[in-house]
Amino acid sequence: MTEQVIPTKQMPPGLQVENIDDRIMTLNVGPQHPGSGHMRIIVKIDGDYIVDADPDPGYVHRGEEKMAESRNYITNIPHLERPVIHDSCNILYPYVLGVEDLVGIEVPERAKYVRVITAELNRCIYIQYWLAIYGIFLGHSTMFMWPAGDRELLIDLMEKITGARVTHAYFIPGGVRNDVPANFEDVCLRQVNYFEKRIKEYADIFYDNPILKARTEDTGVLSKEDAIRLGTTGSVLRASGVDYDIRVKEPYDVYDELDVHTNVLKAGDSYARSKIPWLDMLESCNIIRQALEKMPKSGSIRTKLKPNPKGGDDEVYRRVESGRGAAGCHIISKSKPEPYRLKLSVGSFRNLIALPYLLKGEKLGNMPAVYWSLNYWPVEADR
Amino acid sequence: MSKAETTPPPKATPPPKATPPEKTEPPAPAFEKSYVDQITNQFSDDVEVEYIKENRTRVNVKKEKIAEVAKFIKDNTPFDHAESVTGVDFPEDKEIGVVYHLGSYTDDTYSKQVLALATRVPREENPNPGNDSTKLPSLRDMFYSVEFHEREVFEMLGVYFESHPDNRRLLLPEDWADLPPLRKDFRNKGR
Amino acid sequence: MSVIAPKFRLGYFLKAIFDNAFWILTLVTLAGIPAIQIALFFMPLPVIDGELLTAFLAFTWLFNPAMQIPLIKTLLYSDLFRIAAFPGFGFAALIAAGTIFVERKMLAKLQLRVGPFYCGKIEGILQLAGDGLKLISKEIIIPAKADKPLFWAAPVLFVGTAAAFVALIPVAPGGWVVADLDVGLLAVFAVIGFFPIITILSAWSANSKFPFIGGIRALHQMVSFEIPLILSLLGVVILTGTLNLSEIVESQSNFPWIIFMPIGAIVFFTTMLAELERIPFDLPEAESEIVAGWLTEFSGMMYGLVQLGSYLKLYAFAALFVIIFLGGWTGPVFWPPLDTELITEGVPIPNYVGDPILTVATPGLPLFDKDPNEWVLQEQGELVYTSGQLLISGVIWFVLKTVGVIFFILLPRGVFPRIRLDMLLHIGWYKLIGLAFVNIFIALGLVYAGVIGPGGIL
Repeated sequence: MTEQVIPTKQMPPGLQVENIDDRIMTLNVGPQHPGSGHMRIIVKIDGDYIVDADPDPGYVHRGEEKMAESRNYITNIPHLERPVIHDSCNILYPYVLGVEDLVGIEVPERAKYVRVITAELNRCIYIQYWLAIYGIFLGHSTMFMWPAGDRELLIDLMEKITGARVTHAYFIPGGVRNDVPANFEDVCLRQVNYFEKRIKEYADIFYDNPILKARTEDTGVLSKEDAIRLGTTGSVLRASGVDYDIRVKEPYDVYDELDVHTNVLKAGDSYARSKIPWLDMLESCNIIRQALEKMPKSGSIRTKLKPNPKGGDDEVYRRVESGRGAAGCHIISKSKPEPYRLKLSVGSFRNLIALPYLLKGEKLGNMPAVYWSLNYWPVEADR
Repeated sequence: MSKAETTPPPKATPPPKATPPEKTEPPAPAFEKSYVDQITNQFSDDVEVEYIKENRTRVNVKKEKIAEVAKFIKDNTPFDHAESVTGVDFPEDKEIGVVYHLGSYTDDTYSKQVLALATRVPREENPNPGNDSTKLPSLRDMFYSVEFHEREVFEMLGVYFESHPDNRRLLLPEDWADLPPLRKDFRNKGR
Repeated sequence: MSVIAPKFRLGYFLKAIFDNAFWILTLVTLAGIPAIQIALFFMPLPVIDGELLTAFLAFTWLFNPAMQIPLIKTLLYSDLFRIAAFPGFGFAALIAAGTIFVERKMLAKLQLRVGPFYCGKIEGILQLAGDGLKLISKEIIIPAKADKPLFWAAPVLFVGTAAAFVALIPVAPGGWVVADLDVGLLAVFAVIGFFPIITILSAWSANSKFPFIGGIRALHQMVSFEIPLILSLLGVVILTGTLNLSEIVESQSNFPWIIFMPIGAIVFFTTMLAELERIPFDLPEAESEIVAGWLTEFSGMMYGLVQLGSYLKLYAFAALFVIIFLGGWTGPVFWPPLDTELITEGVPIPNYVGDPILTVATPGLPLFDKDPNEWVLQEQGELVYTSGQLLISGVIWFVLKTVGVIFFILLPRGVFPRIRLDMLLHIGWYKLIGLAFVNIFIALGLVYAGVIGPGGIL
């Protein structure tokens, strides 16, 4: 695109200059499209090859950060989890850890274990949803139904714990909102074991499927240096050969007492990027089982806060490994009940830079495979 | 975490901030201090250390020197990507602050460190983004990953990044004709 | 779903009966009877028992028990019955409707769902009727800049071509085919070659980007798979020496051709999937990339017509596969072989008062015919069957085999993702043509070695 500066006050709405070419067709893979999610990609194609891909997020931009400035630390929780409704625990995690640092409280041990368990469950829920949509983008309707169906097991678990299927609003600074139900450990263990058996079947129908391999191998290859240079995170980074997982590198809560193994693949193509979240899910099942064993059987699940908690004149930046990558929360506080500035640095937004980079020169038929393999959740990137 | 973790009940007093270097564990700040000293030794009066905490450090830079400091950091320290770019509006100081958080993927000893590179630009009452004095050099050539983050700061706060190839709106609708939203004088309706 | 019955009011009930009766009578007298008259005007009137059967005579004879069966038999052998009911449009549409329902149910069970459930008392059996009614009641939206005559004509042409394809398929022994051509297979190729034209016309006339891309893709796909389709069937033509579909089936009375031509069967199956635009070859309707491909702008009953045509094509292709490779209607006759005497004259029962005669002869009914109407009494081993028994068993075998092939066509939908365009063209132009040629060489080898074919061992 040409260099343009559009002054805000005098701008006529929507004016943009574009060259028209004989060969190049501009396609709006827009929000009202079964292959795009909640965002628009303006794709210029020359025959079957993509010449330019311009992502246009912002369809579901809600102004989370602006809203956070006018609410205090406790009432910020329900709206801050909305960017990813089913992975709400992982989105709230850095915020809650940051507020605990600012206010200066310590979380009891049992609460930490419960937080780890629910965070891993949420990660599996999100990855199942992502896999379902990946299947349907490639035209594989069974791969749409199976993850969506198996996900219900975990959503039932979350509903038992928190009372809501999605948008749990479960984490608060100081612990979790309420305790898990009485026989939770057995139910959870049984369901997680069955879940793991189910997702191992995905190898037969999806990952060993010759058509899938032919479609996604060697497409959208992101080399290791490019992955680091572009600042990608999460499964995109690990599929290109970089071993970086915040649960291992900078453990928070009780991850240092659990045995977390990072899955790394070297290929860097769409196939590797689609396989890593599945391996992560298998890993999460292990983590949940370990955490269920080590969890203290009794104990308080929350440290009570004084009403209107406020931090000092301070700033904090905490990061957490969510389903899409490193989620970070940068809070600047100025001795008031509301944060002065709250910035969410989310994995989807950081991975967005890879989209125009990878799509240039790709075939149009590869676009859904490459685009969704970047583990991009449009709502989260828009915040 | 290095802040007060000794007593479980919530504290009423905000933790002290004035004396960062002499905290409880000497080894960690020493490691952070080492790479921060690299920067302060190179650019002695243009940078100022805001704090050195465990795994988090912050360096304030004058806006004329931000590109050089970033290039120095990219070439000489293992920090290879920018994780996020935050824009903060300080209407009392009549300045807008921009904070870059830098991280490292390649070096294992630096994997926990996040270096915050902060700078400030003057702020105008009636902003005309692109044509007033709120300008900063873009760090895209050094850290490629800031491209979309800087576009977001441009549209949300009105900070124009020179030599950024594409200063357009990203998240806001095309026909936005109001103040940049994250400024403090842009009020949410009803609040 | 239960229906909560409203309170019964006699006045409303009587009014409803009166309304229904009024409308039925109006429609029958104003539209139904003239339609029947017109149809009968063009039908060649048969002669039964020396009397020319006009419409009024037919209605009169309907109530004469002795003349009912010849009347029905005449209707059964007329052309209209063949085109409209069996083995033509009605039969194909019934199998198509069954296919759609079975597809939805089978895929649902495969995908841990239930499928249609509420429409109809047992497991959603009436779902198709509901869908048909829904489609009829929808508004048909035509894009403003579309090419209107072509756009309106495209679905109708599509169904017409699919019906033409169905018309060439023989279903049962004894010449039960709508159009009995000596070059039947060649006519099939000609009709199949018509489909890409209709697709690209309907895509072009919609004047919008997504149908355009879908239409181009459909054109690429169908054209590139037509050549392997034709080549794979030529192997069987070489072995049998005839293009007539009925004779191809007759030649398989001892063994189906799939034993000798397995490669041809595989190639034909793959190209069949591509011509039908079934998954994994459903690029022209790739939902996640180009909304609905060349079907995007069709709405309401036009969409219904296209789907009907699509499933008619499915039945026709599966039937073609069965005819050429699996032996059509041949198979062991499981209808119990009755003694010919029992049919022709009847067997007298001994030791009974009054000398009654046991017979299953029902004069005129095509099942147990005294006069087989030029069919051949076939011998299977030592059993002798009449034409009626062969007809029943032939139809049942044909339907079973077709349903089996349709099942295998439906199955990849639950297992495979969609293939990409360049992979598709690569397969169509390189690999399948190569395999088809290998198949032809095998056929030639078999013929020249004297194993099969005219003057061969088998």
